[in-house]
Amino acid sequence: MAVERLLVPLSDTVTVRQTVGYAVQSGLERADSLECHLVVALPYDDDVPESARQHEDADDLLSRARNWVEEDAGEADVTIETATLGTDEYLFGPRDYAEIFDAYAAENDLDRVVLDPEYEPGVTARILQPLERELDRIGLAYDEAPVERSTRRGRLTGSEDFDRLFATFMISYGFYLVLGDPTYWFDLVTGAAVAGIVAISLARVTFSVPLDRVQSPIRVVRFALYIPYLLWEIVKANIAVSAVILRPSMPIEPTLTQVDSRVRSGLPLTALANSITLTPGTLTVRATDQRLLVHTLIPAAREDLFDGGLERGIRFVFYGRESAAIPSPRERDDAEIVGGDEL
Amino acid sequence: MIEPTPLQVTLETVRFWAIVALLGLGVFFTLVSTIGVLRLPDIYARAHTASQTDTLGAGFALAGVALAFGWQHAAVYTVLLLFFVFITNPTAAHAIARSAAETGVEPILAEEGEPDDSTAETEGETR
Repeated sequence: MAVERLLVPLSDTVTVRQTVGYAVQSGLERADSLECHLVVALPYDDDVPESARQHEDADDLLSRARNWVEEDAGEADVTIETATLGTDEYLFGPRDYAEIFDAYAAENDLDRVVLDPEYEPGVTARILQPLERELDRIGLAYDEAPVERSTRRGRLTGSEDFDRLFATFMISYGFYLVLGDPTYWFDLVTGAAVAGIVAISLARVTFSVPLDRVQSPIRVVRFALYIPYLLWEIVKANIAVSAVILRPSMPIEPTLTQVDSRVRSGLPLTALANSITLTPGTLTVRATDQRLLVHTLIPAAREDLFDGGLERGIRFVFYGRESAAIPSPRERDDAEIVGGDEL
Repeated sequence: MIEPTPLQVTLETVRFWAIVALLGLGVFFTLVSTIGVLRLPDIYARAHTASQTDTLGAGFALAGVALAFGWQHAAVYTVLLLFFVFITNPTAAHAIARSAAETGVEPILAEEGEPDDSTAETEGETR
């Protein structure tokens, strides 16, 4: 009895459902029984801040896809295997993906890859075309699922994208003119051209979260207010650390602490982790979801960290004044000293 | 040529000494940071003090430079320079610390509760 073995890489797109449907249908047309391998390839190593959520999303997608296959297969003989790829290596470009799919296909003796035309495995842009080129190079057979996509086109011309383009354009144009001469026509023209190219190519990378026309500018203003506070904290911490270093006895007390921060992943968490690192005496070693592993050098810096001044500052920047007034990590039991084996 | 008024002379003197003071502070914090890198026991502790050079060391030095340039275009560059240093410095420090953690470098930790000298005991296990 002929068995068709398929590899279906999944990502959370509008066409993923149709791709799975096509895979099952085409597989059953070619042979009477089907072995369907559903895989999710995770883009980076598994230690990025959002990793736990990415894994959950991947598992969720796989279980949904499993249901779809069962639904579409009906009475036919279909075996379903699911896997998460790329958890133990870095996947950056299409070549890495092609190679990891090839390795998986060779391992499980698979015949063919069914690709989702919108395949977007968490990297910044769609990689279908380069991925197909790499698969050609490697010699792994693939098949692009014929799907209808109407929703996608609507999304591309939305006002969200205009906002992103506009914001990226203005930022790069402004930066260009600060470096150049805003009164010289040549700089104005070349700046507009450069900013246009930057905006078109990088708008979706620069702003991964949709902008809000009211909130985003307010955040910029609040961030400008946050900077003096951060500078003041840096000066204070610098003096404290300098005093400790210059004392002949050097009374340092290095500890590893774990703080569960109450800020969203992405930019707010990056801003918080960077602010913590920027302040001498505290150093962010790891960030897993909202959990920061912070190395502290002196007790005073640790106390400041547990009092959560910077966290309030970041909450003020991103969520406003009301949200800033939350209990400190110490009070809400989110801060603790951990041993070295937590690394 | 117009003779400078006494006020202008005073302002110039103040500016000169302010520049000297800012550069002096910049050099001081860079020196402290260097001493810290030499004295502190392990890579994590050293990463703390290495960031001092970039924050206050470079901060004061660039402030001095901005003051020396006066109110002109180049002063804006120094502010931008400082801004980028403030973004890249913690990123680099975090990258160093994280790669140290990832390759299994054990931090030297003080005993909980009591302050410890440079003879800190090692805690934790090798991964």
